[in-house]
Amino acid sequence: MRVERRCVINADRDAVWKIVGDPDQYPSFMTNLERWETANDQPPGVGARYTVHWKIGSVPVGGLIEVVEFDENRDVAWVGITGVTLRGRIRLRDGGEGQTKVTFRLSYQAPGGIFGYIADRIAVRQVGRTVADTLKSLKRLAES
Amino acid sequence: MATVGDVLEWTRKQVVSRVPKADLDQRDPDYIRDQLPATWLLASLYFRADVAGLDRIPAEGPVLLVGNHSGGNVPPDTFVFTLAFCSYFGVERPFYQLAHNLVVSAPPLGWLRKFGTVAANHENAQLALASGAALLVYPGGDYEVFRPSWERHKVDFGGRMGYVRLARDAGVQIVPVASVGGQESALFLNRGQWLAKLLMADKLLRLKSIPISLALPWGLNISDLAGHIPLPSKIAIEVQEPIDVDRDDQAVHDKVMASLQDGVDRLAAKRRFPVIG
Repeated sequence: MRVERRCVINADRDAVWKIVGDPDQYPSFMTNLERWETANDQPPGVGARYTVHWKIGSVPVGGLIEVVEFDENRDVAWVGITGVTLRGRIRLRDGGEGQTKVTFRLSYQAPGGIFGYIADRIAVRQVGRTVADTLKSLKRLAES
Repeated sequence: MATVGDVLEWTRKQVVSRVPKADLDQRDPDYIRDQLPATWLLASLYFRADVAGLDRIPAEGPVLLVGNHSGGNVPPDTFVFTLAFCSYFGVERPFYQLAHNLVVSAPPLGWLRKFGTVAANHENAQLALASGAALLVYPGGDYEVFRPSWERHKVDFGGRMGYVRLARDAGVQIVPVASVGGQESALFLNRGQWLAKLLMADKLLRLKSIPISLALPWGLNISDLAGHIPLPSKIAIEVQEPIDVDRDDQAVHDKVMASLQDGVDRLAAKRRFPVIG
């Protein structure tokens, strides 16, 4: 399943990147985040690993992720190493004057055949709300 | 001419010979990973489960998880917690659960061994902890799991505290895991210890209880050996703070019981209705 939400933040890309490019700040704006821990000694950037869980349904869902793209002021992307198959990306682009367009994508696929597919379909609404609320929090944080 | 004693001894040997030996290698992380979505669906939609406090479990190394047990022979708390543990720490972290001999030796339940379920005995428990795994035990076992439903919020191990010695010998912390809701998945009426004694099941099968309950689809359910369809009772689980085994067995046991009962009371206070939660 792939979930994508967008928003426009009334702040320039440098200001938004200061938040998005600093994984230590993720717990302050990511919604339903149950666990966010650094998993290796790498500084923020490609190769840095984190243990991440979102509360989806009855239990925390997620696993170990690794940052695979860290393009300053543009993109940060990660893939899941353990847990559900996962790809995520936060994408920054110029909006209007002093504005930044932000796109947050999450693609995921649970294992387990037909039950995995059903679980994906059932979880997609909650994942969509989580992604949308995360962008709202990011907007509030960046504009404050 | 075979006497009653011979028949009983033969029966005992048949059961004992079917109990799988301590073999931690039967746990299969890939199998568990494939089963997680179905388990997640059941836990999230049917039991509307809520699991909190997993961050209190040490992030690595061996640990003894001690829970209160509910739900008869179909205990929802076990599979909900197993799902939560495997989701939170990943299926890669070794995690075993002790279960009654009859559970692990029943052919239709062979798949449980792939989840890391091993027969409840001291040898298996020691092996699991020595291997560096997390181990989930329910000291109350068949005594607690069949308590009457009106005692659903009472933690009762029946005086069993061998788990403290197990933790002490292995040098690990005890993490209490409190849960509510399981004992509302059927109407449990009586433990039936008198019936177990009458039928000598306590000696033959290590069954201290032949419980009596009202459960789907049977109506009056004697023994629960064939299981039952649990009502969709809301399951709430809260992991408590770890406890060091640094005092005598009774003192540590009292601390674990107090921690569990506090957790159960807290969770029970949030419930407004039975089953619905």
